[in-house]
Amino acid sequence: MTKVAFYGHGLPNVHKGDLPGKLIVLEGTDGVGRSTQVALLREWLESSGYAVASSGLKRSGLAGKGISLAQEGHYLGDLTSCLFYASDLADRLEREIIPALRAGFVVLTDRYIYSLLARALVRGVNRKWVRSVYGFALVPDKVFYLRAGLDHLIPRVLNARGFNYWEAGMDFLPQRDYYDSYVEYQSRILDQFDAMSSEYGFHLVDANRSVHTVFTELKRGIDKLVRGMKPASPEILGDE
Amino acid sequence: MAKLPTGRKLPGKLLVVEGIDGSGKSTQLDLLRKWLVGEGYCVAFSEWNSSPIVGSTTRRGKKKKLLSPTTFSLIHAADLADRVERQMLPALKAGAIVLADRYIYTAFARDIARGVNPDWVRGNYAFAPRPTVALYFRVPLEESIRRIMSGRPRLKYYEAGLDLGLSGDPLRSFELFQERIVSEYEKMIDEFGLTVIDATLPLTEQQEMVREIVAPHLQGVLKAERSAWREVLGKEQLYGRYLPEIGLEQRQK
Repeated sequence: MTKVAFYGHGLPNVHKGDLPGKLIVLEGTDGVGRSTQVALLREWLESSGYAVASSGLKRSGLAGKGISLAQEGHYLGDLTSCLFYASDLADRLEREIIPALRAGFVVLTDRYIYSLLARALVRGVNRKWVRSVYGFALVPDKVFYLRAGLDHLIPRVLNARGFNYWEAGMDFLPQRDYYDSYVEYQSRILDQFDAMSSEYGFHLVDANRSVHTVFTELKRGIDKLVRGMKPASPEILGDE
Repeated sequence: MAKLPTGRKLPGKLLVVEGIDGSGKSTQLDLLRKWLVGEGYCVAFSEWNSSPIVGSTTRRGKKKKLLSPTTFSLIHAADLADRVERQMLPALKAGAIVLADRYIYTAFARDIARGVNPDWVRGNYAFAPRPTVALYFRVPLEESIRRIMSGRPRLKYYEAGLDLGLSGDPLRSFELFQERIVSEYEKMIDEFGLTVIDATLPLTEQQEMVREIVAPHLQGVLKAERSAWREVLGKEQLYGRYLPEIGLEQRQK
């Protein structure tokens, strides 16, 4: 059951009372392997008989495209970015995530408000303001924080798609070089995540280890959460 | 003075017009703009819902009817944030006049009429500079509806508040929605110190009042030299045949 609880003012028109599904968040910096784990977990959960939906930043029907387009241009301001991402998340919550939870799905999300908070805070956006903006966010059942050190992150990012302008903080940091800027930016982001960890009750997962080891640990954590959600098996029905 | 939300004064002036559709506020702002430009002031103009970055998303949301009260609210806040960050704040810091056709009060009125939490919306817009003057053009509902329906036969989905399910009939829904918005505006007059203009008065009379209200705030405002090329043409004995090509795009808009 996901309790209908929000971080702030919440969403209008969402009825109180529990949602039968589970909202599970995978958080962590760029290149830590979140999307790989979401893909593996989804397959594992589905093959174990659960209904699964996944979500992630910029995947809303409303604002996903718009944010990507704005990021290709030369200017997306900090406040605009916060509110644009808020539109994206609110759209996904209202039209995808909450309906899926209501239908009893396990919803896996690749990042949630914590990444957005970290990005805003390192850019000097007012903490109180940004938290209030994201106050419509449903409190998840569990947040797994995948944490890897920079020495592990850098080769992974280089092997995947290279450094990204925004994920290297090139929009605000003084470094004019992608590598230097990335190192500075991601260290600041890591500090923000670490600072949020206890407040939001992150389950810390050491992602310096192999994909398989991390997957095994996540499976163990998620298994506890979802146990009992599966439709009753025939034997149990036969007992009645 | 316009002020930052922190209370810090900005050298520029932020002049805002508010009111329901058909109140005539845009006409009045346009007249004000022409006057100010004619007086040589440096004037920037910003219209509600006009950010080039956010616009395509808002249009998509409206066209496909994807917007909920919450996302409608957030996307409009994103739109203003972009205009504040890139257009309005730089102009205000430079000491210019910024004219805004609709501002945060539009968001407060519409979003609260849609059932969004008032504190949350107000908090979201806390980044917006405080206006020097905010004019509220008050018009009776029947009059505004008569004006709108004579010029524009078809009401749009969100404009008519059809997303609220108040009535299946667009005109009836529009009336009910506008009624709620008017009542929100009325509540904000004292809270935000809006200056009320009677929008049923003749256009010129309203404009006189607007100028009277604005005039005391114009001292020290940045002036822009207009048509600086005139002097060159005279001295150099040139015709300036190619000058009309400059800014052709703007004029075509």
